[in-house]
Amino acid sequence: MPLLNNLMQKEYFVQGPLSLGLWRTLNGEITMAIAEKMASNQKQIAISEFFEKNKHFLGFDSMPRSIITAVKESVDNSLDACEEARILPDIKIRLTKIEDKKDVIELMAEDNGPGIPEAAIGKVFGQLLFGSRFHAIRQSRGQQGIGITGVVMYSQLTTGKPTIVVSKIANETSAVSVKIGLDTRKNKAIKSEQDRIIWEDDDGVLKEHGVKVTCRMKAKYQRGKQSVYQYLRMTSIVNPHAAITFTDPDGEVHHWPRVTERLPTKVDAIKPHPHGIELGQLQRMLRESKESRMTVFLRANFSGVSMRAAKQLCEAAEVSEKAKPSTLKPDPIRNLIEAFQGERLCEGRIVKLLAPPINCLSPIEEMLIKKGLSKTIDSKFISTMTRAPSVSHGNPFQIEVGLIFGEGMVGDSHVEILRFANRVPLMYQQGGCLLTKAIEKVDWRQYGLEQAGGKGVPKGPAAILVHLASTNVQFTSEAKEALADNEIVFEETRKAMLEMGRGLRKHLEKKKKMAKTREKFELINDILPAIAAKSAAILGRPVPDLSGSITKIMNAIIAEEESVWNKETKQVDVKIIFYNYSSRARQYTLLTNWPEKSGAVMVGNERGGRKETTGIWAWKMETLNPGENAMIEYSLDGLEKGDWTETDVFFRGNQEVIGATKMDEKMLEEIRNQEEISRAAGIEIPDDDIIDEDEDTAPVAEGDNRQTTLFGGEA
Amino acid sequence: MARVNDPELTKRELHGVVAEMYDRMVKGEAPTMTLPVRTKNNIGFDKKLGVYKYGKKRSVRDASSLGSAKNLLRALHVVEFIEEMIKSGKSSTLREMYYISEGWGYGKFGSQNDSNNLAEDLEVITTCLREDFKLRPEEDGARMIGNLTLQEKNRKGEWMRINARDDVGDSGYGVPYNVEIEKIELLEHDVDFIMAIETGGMFDRLIENGFDEDYRCALLHLKGQPARSTRRILKRMNEEWGLPVVVFLDGDPWSFRIFASIAYGAIKTAHISEYLATPSASYLGITADDILAYDLPADELSKKDVEALNAELSDPRFADGWWQDQINMMLEINMKAEQQSLAKYGLDFVTDTYLPEKLGELGLA
Repeated sequence: MPLLNNLMQKEYFVQGPLSLGLWRTLNGEITMAIAEKMASNQKQIAISEFFEKNKHFLGFDSMPRSIITAVKESVDNSLDACEEARILPDIKIRLTKIEDKKDVIELMAEDNGPGIPEAAIGKVFGQLLFGSRFHAIRQSRGQQGIGITGVVMYSQLTTGKPTIVVSKIANETSAVSVKIGLDTRKNKAIKSEQDRIIWEDDDGVLKEHGVKVTCRMKAKYQRGKQSVYQYLRMTSIVNPHAAITFTDPDGEVHHWPRVTERLPTKVDAIKPHPHGIELGQLQRMLRESKESRMTVFLRANFSGVSMRAAKQLCEAAEVSEKAKPSTLKPDPIRNLIEAFQGERLCEGRIVKLLAPPINCLSPIEEMLIKKGLSKTIDSKFISTMTRAPSVSHGNPFQIEVGLIFGEGMVGDSHVEILRFANRVPLMYQQGGCLLTKAIEKVDWRQYGLEQAGGKGVPKGPAAILVHLASTNVQFTSEAKEALADNEIVFEETRKAMLEMGRGLRKHLEKKKKMAKTREKFELINDILPAIAAKSAAILGRPVPDLSGSITKIMNAIIAEEESVWNKETKQVDVKIIFYNYSSRARQYTLLTNWPEKSGAVMVGNERGGRKETTGIWAWKMETLNPGENAMIEYSLDGLEKGDWTETDVFFRGNQEVIGATKMDEKMLEEIRNQEEISRAAGIEIPDDDIIDEDEDTAPVAEGDNRQTTLFGGEA
Repeated sequence: MARVNDPELTKRELHGVVAEMYDRMVKGEAPTMTLPVRTKNNIGFDKKLGVYKYGKKRSVRDASSLGSAKNLLRALHVVEFIEEMIKSGKSSTLREMYYISEGWGYGKFGSQNDSNNLAEDLEVITTCLREDFKLRPEEDGARMIGNLTLQEKNRKGEWMRINARDDVGDSGYGVPYNVEIEKIELLEHDVDFIMAIETGGMFDRLIENGFDEDYRCALLHLKGQPARSTRRILKRMNEEWGLPVVVFLDGDPWSFRIFASIAYGAIKTAHISEYLATPSASYLGITADDILAYDLPADELSKKDVEALNAELSDPRFADGWWQDQINMMLEINMKAEQQSLAKYGLDFVTDTYLPEKLGELGLA
């Protein structure tokens, strides 16, 4: 079986030939299961039989689900291909009902990806288990599903029709057009009507590169929570760099525009970490290793293992450093696993391993989640957060959350939960998913949402987004729709939710307070002068001076904030007016936050002041006498419209300031500390370029990333 | 008597309200309006007048919140509006004033209720009447039938003599909103008492059965919670003609309140109780023991009914023993009955049996 040999040959692939690497088929556990099953079974299994037996977890178990799976496979492929080729994706999906045929839908999926070379098309579309992505340890979409071959097979099994593939790569002038069918006994593609064609788009412009797949299948188009529409909408939220156009069977066109030109960070594959390895995998790695010594094997094949650690692992496992890895017996192998897990000690201590590198993760990042959410949901308040990367059982992972709240959303039903794993929407089994459970564990009532008994999915005009980025996403079942329980991931998610909740509560409190303040301003600016004028007129006396009454009524120090997008300058203009409506002279230091981490630059700040820490600026204000006011003005450059709509104002001083929060000095300290940690860890702040893979980077403590924000602190 | 009927005095009283605000601003304080607390916790029996009046509790409305500041501004607009009407000899309904306030900018009323309440506030503070303010209520007064003769000044300023039995149709004499001496004079009568009735159905039943003739009485339809002019004309007939007043209502907690407003004074208008209340009025029925004695078809008390009864137990106007017994009995039997329930025994039962028996207890039949 050449295919399986091919799979077994190397434990991981960093990258195959570029355009081949783009098209994935099977991955992760399913693949392992199939591969092992097939390896142990000397008979040739008809792939179609396997498909038929397993279609429930391959996503083709019902007609409504089949069309979603088909769309998903092609979109996932397109996004992965574009990402690797560093192309901004333009994806078109069109579903058409075939007349006179009940429950047959034609799917047309087109992208502007790099295209597939003619020679590879047969393998990509017509052979299961083909692909270079398999077993590479990094964050990839393709940990789910069976791949595009499954779509080809499903359409052949249900309609008997081949799939039409058009593909063009950049350095060829014409495109290839071919019909693909499957020889399910030989696990091979049957090509027919292969031709070179000139591929033009609808406007008659020559297509530079891309793939177009057209196939017919038995399927049913539905609307609602589990639909092609919802899948594409969710996909567009977590892929803000993609433009997606969807034509539904009724001919209605839905378009989700691209909101950023920034492609996701390129991720590198990493070697497995000893904490995340299982016996079978280790056995295989040892058997196939070419290394001559154990220490070299450990250093070369695992991340987080220094020379010292390699020696200590051998000692703990009672394996000679000089032993030849490929000849290791089962017992020593088991010892080695125990040493990996810290169950065997070296000199009475657990062997210290470095954390795996985290540059294999590609979070969406706060600002882009914000943009993704705001393009599909119309609302006022959006808070997003990307937690620092963490590690669970040797697998790096990162949690990102977003909360959107307010007008334009349904208020009396459960909040919408948008779950994602490695940028792939999870649409089924919401209740059984770790991410949902983490949301349900939070008492949302304290943050301004309704929730019966303080647990369960809260109610209110809100949507919650959770994204898990990980090199190894663990699902509850083969269906790969719900994340399996994992204490560390759960805690990270829950903490992120608390953070969101605090942000929401602050927002609601602030809104309430500002509404009150606005009322007071109306009172002193409009009503009081009218009372003075009218009473004076009725009594025929002079209009009284109101400054005393105003001070008595307000009896407060007030900060008014305004952050507005300036179309001309393409900047956000920030203005803070600071009023002293108290009866004494006042002196304060005012501070504001600005999105420095997202690359914003403060300009036109004529008052000067100084930078307090990352993203916090401070001004020492002059003494204000009763009734006086002062103003701070500056602009933020390097942002896009909608990036920054609200500036937080903080103060140092004795009396409370309406519209501002007292600066929490401990929190500032925390932010500075975190910066130190991040800097030491090699994460550049504020830039977010990829860092070199370096095994000796400082460890990221498991389950504790000391993350905090300005509003942070733990609950 | 609160009645002033003196435009200059009215103006002076209103200016007092304005001056309170003005003087506070001159002192560098927030402007205020001080007025008696208008709840049942601040009404007490005035021995001299025999009615319930506001006590000494005062509340201060100051301009420290937007809502109350707007209220002060509205009050100023209303004062100005009243002065204009006094000057031009016009009057306006409360509803008209509400619409006129559209042009008052920040002083605009939020609802009709706001304007009604403010008019009452000003009455309470100044001890003037809304008639002095040239403000009329929307609701029309009661209907009356019986051998009473009065004269009313019509729009042309001429006095018209009207007998409320011979000069009217089946709907009776309509009581105008102003029943003061400048508008209505009570001339003569030939009845022994006046019966005030809650529902129109019962009023019409008694007329059809000729009850007013048979029992030498005048009938007055209250139309639910009676308007000020209804209470005022009852009071005048009681005082000026010395006629006893009996009140015939449904047997439920809300009827008890109607009776209290007729006999003792309403909480909302306690500032002018001595002018509206008829302390000698008697409650004829339907009482709680009538429900049992006559075995009347009854409904169970609702939650709101029970709440109302419990509130009445602590209302100073129902403090005497008879009322406490009635309220407690109604709570105990957990029943209420309508006037119309008497029809269980036929259309004539009320006039042939029930009323004669009840009036007999009072010595009126």
